[in-house]
Amino acid sequence: MRSRVLVAALAVVALGVVAATASASGQRAQANKLTVWLQVDAQSGWPDVVAAATSAFQKQHPGWTVDVQYQNWGDHLQKFDATLAGGNSPDVIEMGNTEMAKYMFAGAFANLTADKSKFDNSGNWLAGLQKSAMYQGKVFGVPYYAGSRVVTYRTDMFKSAGIAKLPTSLAQFQADAKKLAAKYRKVKGFSPLYFAGEDWYFAMSFVFDYGGTIARTHAGKWVGALDSPKAIAGLTAWKNLFLASSKASKTTDENTPAPYDVYSQGRASAIIGPGWFSCCTGAKYKGVTAQFVMPSHTAGKAIPGFLGGSDLAVPVTSSNKAMAEDWIAAFTSTENEKALEAKGNIPNATNLLGTSVNERAAARSWFVPVAKHWVDVENGNILRNMLGQILTGHLTVKQAAQSASDNITSVLNQP
Amino acid sequence: MSGRLPTALGIAAETATGRSRRRRLGARRLGAGAVPYLLILPVVGVMGAILGYPMVNLFRISLQRYGLFELIQRHGVDVGLANFRSVLHDAVFWHTLLRTVVFTVANVGLTVVLGTLLALLLVRVSAWVRILLTAGLVLVWSMPQVVAVQVWKWMTNFQNGVLNYVLTELHVGDFFQHDWYASPFSQLSLVTALIVWEGLPFVAITVYAALSQVPKELVEAAEIDGAPGWKVFRDVTVPIITPVLLILTSLSILWDFGVFTQPYLLIGQPHVTPSNYLMGIYLFQQYYTADFGRGAAISVLMLVMVAAMSVVYVRRMVRIGEVDA
Repeated sequence: MRSRVLVAALAVVALGVVAATASASGQRAQANKLTVWLQVDAQSGWPDVVAAATSAFQKQHPGWTVDVQYQNWGDHLQKFDATLAGGNSPDVIEMGNTEMAKYMFAGAFANLTADKSKFDNSGNWLAGLQKSAMYQGKVFGVPYYAGSRVVTYRTDMFKSAGIAKLPTSLAQFQADAKKLAAKYRKVKGFSPLYFAGEDWYFAMSFVFDYGGTIARTHAGKWVGALDSPKAIAGLTAWKNLFLASSKASKTTDENTPAPYDVYSQGRASAIIGPGWFSCCTGAKYKGVTAQFVMPSHTAGKAIPGFLGGSDLAVPVTSSNKAMAEDWIAAFTSTENEKALEAKGNIPNATNLLGTSVNERAAARSWFVPVAKHWVDVENGNILRNMLGQILTGHLTVKQAAQSASDNITSVLNQP
Repeated sequence: MSGRLPTALGIAAETATGRSRRRRLGARRLGAGAVPYLLILPVVGVMGAILGYPMVNLFRISLQRYGLFELIQRHGVDVGLANFRSVLHDAVFWHTLLRTVVFTVANVGLTVVLGTLLALLLVRVSAWVRILLTAGLVLVWSMPQVVAVQVWKWMTNFQNGVLNYVLTELHVGDFFQHDWYASPFSQLSLVTALIVWEGLPFVAITVYAALSQVPKELVEAAEIDGAPGWKVFRDVTVPIITPVLLILTSLSILWDFGVFTQPYLLIGQPHVTPSNYLMGIYLFQQYYTADFGRGAAISVLMLVMVAAMSVVYVRRMVRIGEVDA
């Protein structure tokens, strides 16, 4: 008899365990709390702007708390997917402009069209950003900021290498790089212009500069276009510049290490990257750091830069849509956008544009194909892989471009 | 074999419940027969909840189109075996499978051979060296995987890595800014080094324990008969420790075939491509690009492969159990 009591007790315990695991997954979002996902750029670059937005929001809605959680570019979408499945997604999410398409197509974001007037300067949003946040004429995201890529350089090094005038063409830049390399040949691992081997944003600038593109549409289908003669000419020019001026790993990406770390260690006389890189060049070089627009192979022109940027969206799963909109409105207010501009970003509206080097660089820009599956090309590392193969010499430019192009065609045409 | 097990347990249970012998025969038999099942019921229940439910879900999703759209709607669209067809027709799947098999053979081979050599060394060295060596092995064992990866990443760093520095200082060559991640082969070789390093302690310590079970008389007798050392090892020691080696090998195969943490973190997400995929990463990439149906289909295929491989292990375990009984 006793054994049966024991069994019954064990069974109850077992059921209890099952019940406990079941109830743990059912937790609900706390009332009066807004969860915001921003990328780490805000955390390192402009935490004061985030704080200002939250306090303005709280003045408007007393009793509300805002939980800002900072995410990494590498895995934030995957985390977001998990929260969509689990029903605990954030109320506001920052999306890279290249990431928007797939999620808009899938219906992941709330339609903000009716409330567009809530947001400052919404009549003058930057075309490039607005386009990334619109689908079938509806607004699914609020432009946050944009960034172009500029050259951040050491004025003292350029001067002592005998470079009196900043380069205005690619050929001139390459010649200057040679001078810098000769002057500082004793510095171990010195790069006249440091850029990572698999920094595809920079490499694609050359493709566009030479008149090529990544993919185009033909008869309703996407076709990879990196194997075109123009694109190959661009990739070849990029390869030559890398070999002449960068001592970065041929197989690393633009985040590891951060180019400004290489710069602040004195191992580079110039780096390529967003304008806000000026934040982190190190105290030692603050006085001798300036920026200029990366020149094109056509003298006097700027190279087309990747118009990167972010939008803020409200996931459909959020139960605080109105509050989320109000926080976004506070965050993208004219005042805050001006603060972002002061940090080296491009503000979200044309009427706020200034004449900084960053904004001049944005005059010529390129953007990724607006295709549902573009983000899969990025996450599948197709372009990075191609660049690594070119630089390490595993494949010729033509072979690597051909294979990447075929991959892009098949990824973009998935159902 | 399956018939034998409950009978044996039934006998054990019968002796345990011997006190209620006075009750009617039929009820006693029935009760005695049910007790073992009742006893394992909680375990089966818990296992069913934490393993069975997700597994059923996995099978269900593998038969559905389940992408981002379906994720937001919270239900997939039934497509039959389309996901399996798409995976089995994908050249990447077969290349990855082949690469993973080669990778597993290399890793398991190196782990078991080096581990056994270390165990033999442990037998021979003096007590304090053995203590030092064992302490070192336990330290390796106790290091969490992610931490170990970080340490290896730092050592093999392109710019400031200690490995490049030491090799250059030792005049092995100019390793300044040597790129250890330049090709899929070198990437996977580094992963292999890391996994073997992490797997050594378990193999070495287990084989060492097995070696202590080898009767000294047998070894001595063989030596007196004039057999050379390696022959004694091959003909006397190895047959005795074979069961342990087999179990270690099959366990290592199971671990290394599905490995994910080390390659994913060491190679890094921006650099995983079809040319360096292992099965674990190939699988993960499907989820990464939000193709959950296809990912589930690959999971099911991997599950079948791993289950087939573990048959050897399970049979071994059952046989050892029988010998002991």
